[in-house]
This record gives sequence, C-alpha cells and structure tokens, in this order.
Amino acid sequence: MVAASVPSGYELTEEQRLLRDTVRALADERIAPRAAEIDRTGEFPWDVKALLAEHDLLGLGIPAEYGGVGVDLLSVCLAIEQVSRVCATSGLIIAVQELAAAPIVLAGSDEQRRRWLPDLAAGRQLVAFALTEPEAGSDAAAVRTRAVRDGDEYVIEGTKRFITHGSIADLIVVFAVTDPEAERHRRLSAFVVERERPGFRVARLEHKMGIRGSPTAELVFDGVRIPAANRLGPEGDGFAIAMRTFERSRPGIAAQAVGIAQGALEVAAAYARTRRQFGRPIGEFQMVAALLADMDAATEAARQLLYRACTVIERGGPDAARWAAIAKLVAGDAAMRVTTDAVQVLGGYGYVDEYPVERMMRDAKITQLYEGTQQIQRLVVARALLGRE
Amino acid sequence: MRIVVLTKPVPDPASGQDRLGPDHRVDRAAAPAVLNGNDEYALEAALRLVESHGGEITLLAMAPATAPETLRKGLAMGAHRAVLVTDPALAGSDIRSTVGVLAAALAGLEFDLVLAGIDTSDGFAGVVPAALATLLGLPLLSNAAAIEPDPAAGRVRVRRIIQGGYDVLEAPLPALVSCTQALGAPRYPSLKGIMAARSKEVAVRSLADLGPTRWPVGGAAAATAVVAVDPPPARGATRTIRASAVEAAREIADFLAARRLLP
Amino acid sequence: MSGRVVVVGEVVDGRPTRLSTEVATLGRRLGEALGRPVVGVLVGAGAGEAGASLAAYLPEVLTVELPDLADLAPAPRVAAETAALVEPEDGPILVGASPDGRDVAGALSVLLDRPVLANAVAVEAGPEGPTAVKTIFGGKLVVRSRFVGPPGIVTVRPSSVDAAPADAPGRVVARTATAVALGPPVRRLERILETAGEVPLEEAAVVVVGGRGVGGAEGFALLEELAALLGGTVGATRAAVDAGWIGYARQIGQTGKVVKPRLYLGLGVSGAIQHKVGMQTAETIVAVNRDPDAPLAEYADLYVVGDLFEVGRALVAELRRRRDAGTT
Repeated sequence: MVAASVPSGYELTEEQRLLRDTVRALADERIAPRAAEIDRTGEFPWDVKALLAEHDLLGLGIPAEYGGVGVDLLSVCLAIEQVSRVCATSGLIIAVQELAAAPIVLAGSDEQRRRWLPDLAAGRQLVAFALTEPEAGSDAAAVRTRAVRDGDEYVIEGTKRFITHGSIADLIVVFAVTDPEAERHRRLSAFVVERERPGFRVARLEHKMGIRGSPTAELVFDGVRIPAANRLGPEGDGFAIAMRTFERSRPGIAAQAVGIAQGALEVAAAYARTRRQFGRPIGEFQMVAALLADMDAATEAARQLLYRACTVIERGGPDAARWAAIAKLVAGDAAMRVTTDAVQVLGGYGYVDEYPVERMMRDAKITQLYEGTQQIQRLVVARALLGRE
Repeated sequence: MRIVVLTKPVPDPASGQDRLGPDHRVDRAAAPAVLNGNDEYALEAALRLVESHGGEITLLAMAPATAPETLRKGLAMGAHRAVLVTDPALAGSDIRSTVGVLAAALAGLEFDLVLAGIDTSDGFAGVVPAALATLLGLPLLSNAAAIEPDPAAGRVRVRRIIQGGYDVLEAPLPALVSCTQALGAPRYPSLKGIMAARSKEVAVRSLADLGPTRWPVGGAAAATAVVAVDPPPARGATRTIRASAVEAAREIADFLAARRLLP
Repeated sequence: MSGRVVVVGEVVDGRPTRLSTEVATLGRRLGEALGRPVVGVLVGAGAGEAGASLAAYLPEVLTVELPDLADLAPAPRVAAETAALVEPEDGPILVGASPDGRDVAGALSVLLDRPVLANAVAVEAGPEGPTAVKTIFGGKLVVRSRFVGPPGIVTVRPSSVDAAPADAPGRVVARTATAVALGPPVRRLERILETAGEVPLEEAAVVVVGGRGVGGAEGFALLEELAALLGGTVGATRAAVDAGWIGYARQIGQTGKVVKPRLYLGLGVSGAIQHKVGMQTAETIVAVNRDPDAPLAEYADLYVVGDLFEVGRALVAELRRRRDAGTT
C-alpha cells in the first residue's frame, strides 16, 4: 500500500512489483538450486538461458514492435537484481543481452532492427559486446581493431579481449577503427558480426575468480568480411554509440551488484539468527549486529540510488551518464563490502563452499572492474561535477 | 469454453507475518497478499483447457478493495478479466455468508465450468466448493487431478483423487470442479503477460450490485465466533548432532529406542 | 439445547473409515460432556454392514442403504439423506474432514442452513456451547471458536483422537432413503486403485519423508528401506513431487496431506512453512540435512547435520544390526 505522503515517483508501479515478484519466484525456485553447480563446473548454464528466454527475460528492453517486452530501464534492472541475488552468472545473462543489443536498438536502422532484434528478444540468439582489447581497456578510444571499407563490405582485422559471452554469442557487436586519422572520439564505428563469418574465431577462454559460469573470451577477427549493411549508424559514430550504451548498461551491472549484495546479506542474516555461540544466537552480539546493519544500509542505499538513476536515465537528459556512473560506482563497492562482511559473519563457514557467501564474494569483485572500472566511473562523475570535457 | 476461476487473495503463508487482528479475524493487512496457492493450480488448469478448447477465463474474488493488485498476477498468467466483489459490509463474513455472496456473483456470469482450489491456505476449510455447488444446483466434481471437458457433448470428465488411487467421474456441463495440485504446476506470468494485464478489466461489484444474497453478511452476522487464541504448546529444545555418519546413526537409533519408536 | 450430537460417518467397502471411528469417539465423548445423546449416520452402499462396525463406538447408528451410490459421487446424496435425518434441535454435526467429508459438510451447510467450523483437532464442551479447537498460520496459534446461535457443522481432522470403542456396542437402526438430491448426478465411470493395501499417509504411525536433498527418484529407495525397517510409510515434500521424483499422493504439506505420526523422519527436508503445516504435530521429529540452518532445525527434536545418504545408509545398517541382534 502506498503511504499517503510519499510522492508516487518513489514507489514501484504495480507492474514493476509484479515483475519483480515473478522474477524473484523464478530465481528462487528454478535458478538458485543450480547456482553452486554452475560455479563449480564453470559451465555456461544453457538450461537457465532457456528458462530466461521462455519467460521473456532476454528481450526485456527491446521494443515490443521487434518482439521484445519493451519495459523501462528500471524494470530491466529489477529483473537483473532478482536473478543476481541467487546467481550472478545467471543475472549476467540478462544484463549482457541488454547491453549488447542496445547499440542495435539505439543506432540501428529500422531494417537492421527488424533483421536482428526479434531473434534476440526471443532468446533464440545471444549477442555479445566487443569493445575491449588487450591494449584498450579503460582507454576505450585506444581501440586498434580495424574495419577497412572494400566496396560493399568491410574487412575487420584485430583482437578483442575479455568479451562476455564471446564464445557463445550468435552476434557480436564489434567496435573498430574506420578512420585512424580522425579526432579521437570519431575514429570508431560499430558493426554487427555474425559468428559464422569466415575468419572469426575464439582464441581463448579465461579462468576467472568469479562469475565462473559466464564464458569470457578472446576473439580474433582475421580478415572477417561483413556487408556494409552490418554497420550500425554512420561511420565515426562508434564511440558515441558505446557511451550511450553505457548509460543503460551500467545500471544493469549496478543491479547485478545490488542483487549479489542482497543475496549475501540474506544468507548472513539467516545465519546470525540461528547460529548459537556462548549460549545465544550470534546476531544478538553487537559486533555482529553492527556489521549486518551496515551491510543492510549499504545495500539499500545502492538500491535506492539505482532505482532513481534508472528513472532519470529513462527520462533522458544531459546528466544520464553521471547518474549511471554514480549508481555503478556505489553499487559495485557495496557488493564487495557486503559480501566480504558476509563471509566475516559466517566465520570459518563463510570460507568454505558449504555456504554460498564465498562464491558471492568472488562474484562481487567483477562489478568493480567491468563495464568501466570504479576509477573510470569516478572520472565520469568528476567531469560532470567540474564541467570539464 | 467459458471458465470462471474462484480466487482468494490470502496473506502470504511464506511471509511468516500472518496474524490475527484485535477482533480475532485474520489481519489482511499484516502480510502481503498473494493468490491462494490451490487457486493458482485451478487457474493453470483453466489456462490449459482454454489453450486446447478455446474460450475465456474470468477470475472471481470476494476480497478487500486492495485485491486488484493480487488479481493482476492471475491476469498476467492469462486470465481474460476479473470480477471483484468488494464492500466494507463484507468484512468478517463467515464461510456460509461468503458462499452466499459468491453464488450471487456467479448468478450474473455465464459459464461452462467453475474451477476452485480445494481449500485455502488461510482457512483450510475446504467446504466452499461443495456448499457453492449445492446452492447453485451444479454438479460437483471434487479433488480433481485431471479435467477433460467435452463441450460439444455438454459434459466433463474428471479424475478424482481418492485414497489409494482415483475415480473417473462424469457430469453434464455446467459443472463445478475443485482442483488439486496434481493438475500441474502453475506457470510464472510471462513478462509480456504482465504488460498485457494492465489493460485487462477488473470489474468491481459492491453488495448493492449483486442483489440479494442467501444469508446476511459481515462480521455482525457471522454465526461463528472466536472464543480464545493461544500459543501452541512448546515443543522442547532441539538436540543437534554433528558427527560421523556411523556415530550419527547410532545416536539416532538410541534416541528412537529411548522413545520406544523402534519396532 | 436438547438435541443430539450427530456424527456423520463415511462408508468404504462396507466398513466405516478409520476417520469415522475417530470422529465417533470424539462425538461420543462430547455428548457425554454435554449431557446429550449421540447418534451416528451412515449413508451409502454397504451402510448396513458398516453400521454394525461403527456401533462399537456409538450408542446408536442410523443407516441408509443406497446400493446405487456405488456408481455415483456420493457426497450430494449422503448430504441429502443426512439432512433428512437431522432434527432442528440436533447439533453439533460432526463430519470427518476427508475429501468426501468436506463435500458432505459443505452441502449440509446449505441444506440445513447451518454454519461451519472447519478443521478441528478437538471439540470441547465449552461454557458457551460446543467449541472447536484448531491451529492456524502453520501452527503459530491455537484458536477456539464456538457457534453464535444454534450449533452447526464441525469438520474434524484425521488423527485428532485415537479411536476407542465404547464399553458396550450401540444399536443399529436401518432407515429408508427419502431424499432427492439437488442438481444433476455425478456418475462414477470407473475406480482405479494403484496403491491399495498401503497404509495411507494420514494414518501412518511413522513417516519417512524426502525433500529436495534426495536429488532424484532413485534416492527414494533409501527412504523405502528406512520406512520398512521402522514400520512406516514414505512421504515427500512439494519440491520432490514437483521435480517428478515421486507421486503427488505422497506429498505432505500445505497443498498435500497433513500427517500426525508418532515419528517423522525427514531426510534432505528444509522444513519451510509450506511443509511444516503438514507435519508439525508429529510427536517426534528427527531430521538429517546438510544445511545446519534449515527451518526444520528450529522445531525438530533431533537434528543431524550431515549427508542424508551417508547417515541414511549408516542408519539402515544400524537398524538391521539391532533387529538381528534382537535388541530394541
């Protein structure tokens, strides 16, 4: 029920609540039992992917006219948060599909959208986002992969690293240099490469600290030819497309981080209620209670900030990038802190895999690294604050 | 096929926050409301029937005015519309009065089948389906594990769970069927379904809209009253064992022997 | 109030059900406490034969023999005939809360214009009239309720009392069918028995229950072994049933059966509220689970933290060892 004095902009709508509760039930009942095994085997959970596809969760942000659900950014984040609460790898499946489809949604022509979005929305195909390179991480403009125009085609040459879902995606959104002489932010263009194209190969898969079920790949483009009709937007728009994508994808990672934090908090709180030492539940000891209270406060703060950021970004406006960066910054740090403290609350039991918190702590770290490191987020925020360009 | 599914918003049993109010009635504001579990199975059965036979599903509920949000989940699962009977005068109605209200509401609807869960998680009485069928003169096929209507022939067959197996029952349509979990797990609402539910009708009916009901309604007319509410007798402390399997097995056997539970 | 306490029984294969004998015992004691006569009612195919058995528990049993009820869903006719036998001053009317019993109770409520108190585990002779006792909210509270006005219908949960015959058997009075049932008849086309002869879960003294931790249908073989050694029956949680490892007939909990055994042994069962409501009144609860903080840990009598298969197999060996050595 809505309290009379709270402005309605601070409440989730009835639909958002139903969406959140539905995804929560799905996650608890069908995904949570698989989480430990996914981490242990490091295998991509195709069954979870099928489950998400079946329930329209891989087409959330794609407009309804292209077969998606067409919900707002906050609703997308609600779904990512609920799934990440039980399994960060699974939450990432939704987040990456949203992230990588965004360039097509934002910059694709109507024909391009019709060509690619319906299969993505239905979850029949997966899509990956390939910007990062061995020498271009935080410095996105330093990308070296080349796309050379040859008649009606482009020839793509280069290597991408740390590409989530790169080894399993059917479509890869690739950012490559089309004009090496242009000014820094106009050098890149965005392309869609279908994995069957000759010359494309997966060079390696990373073994990671966390989100182990999510394949992270190095992709090699060895003279891959694609039609010019696969270019998204005009030449030179690549960097801008990437930046606009981040406004929507960084909240998705923030949602993953909030979900991970919430999951760890719930495990730690349940443990503190029942674990007895010195004759009492440990939650009654002030040092433990204080730890849990701070964890809850950090998680809630990150969550509310994220929800607000989503509303602002959805509305559009010049400060979208700043909101996205702040949300991701705060949430990533919260997830790392909360999961570390969750292990602390469980003591020795937190360190072994009998409980999921050690996995959650390993999973949390990536939220401080990808989608722009915390340091990059700070740059974005400082620039907006100080008015520098 | 025109199917009416009776649904009841109940306090979420998993929340652990269910409690009685100071008037000894279920405090419906204490815990978030969800659709009664067995009603979801009934709705799932209805959805499958409409998928194979065509038709539409109407949800019918007698509930407080906050019910539309709970009913929204049923609409998101695929029901076509909902009818909510709500009126402050209905608060505190006992089982019999509730049946009278539901019967009056059903009298205003056209249907081939009425489906209901066998009981509710906030009452477990399980008598409403039979009372309703008797009041309306409908055949009752209860405890259904499978439902096979034959609309062309105007009849329905049901596999009814009994001790040790099941009966195959048959009756003419229209009929009332009470539904068990054996019918199959309810689907999660799809996200597209959630969006579509927004535009589906929830028709609200007050008591005045229904016309006369068989029995008076409301708390003052209730023919039953709570005399006392007490906590349950305490169980006693739990003894926890962490030991090797062989050691634990011995402890369990000793424990059972001490309580004379070994044959 | 000068009328009779009425006990409505259920006939299966020419015998009253065990629940009927329990409700009869409860009704007889209630009648004694209220100082009122008690009468049983049995309607159906084989009612006459069943009446003789039920008369061991009641001073008087009215029977209505209805042979054609074998081919119909019985509840509407049973309710109609019972309603014809009940007099205005009679009450309360006790009915066992079996599936058929609930249908009869619901129909009687309309036919006799009487309110219903459902799911009682006891019926006391309270200061303001017969008082039904039930638990709500998964056992969080015990509620006592009475009727406002004439006493109505009370449905009684299985295993609420142990059936105990009266000192001397009562008499059986055969009555003729008079009533006309309302509504079109529901025909029974066939009866398919799959597990006839097994002790029904609700009546088992020992239940061995498997949950999500059992991991698959094959895992239940261990539970069958334990059940056999302990003289019990195998049950399951909703998780195991939904996963397809075992049939719905075995399900204990909110959307399954309620059991009240002397011993409940749970293996790989978390004991969440939806299951708890189905078994929390077991006299002794023993559980084995890898998770030290499962909800069941809070209300079990003995809680073993461990792998259910390792402990289960060791327990099978231990029980066999004791059985063969002749010790108990």
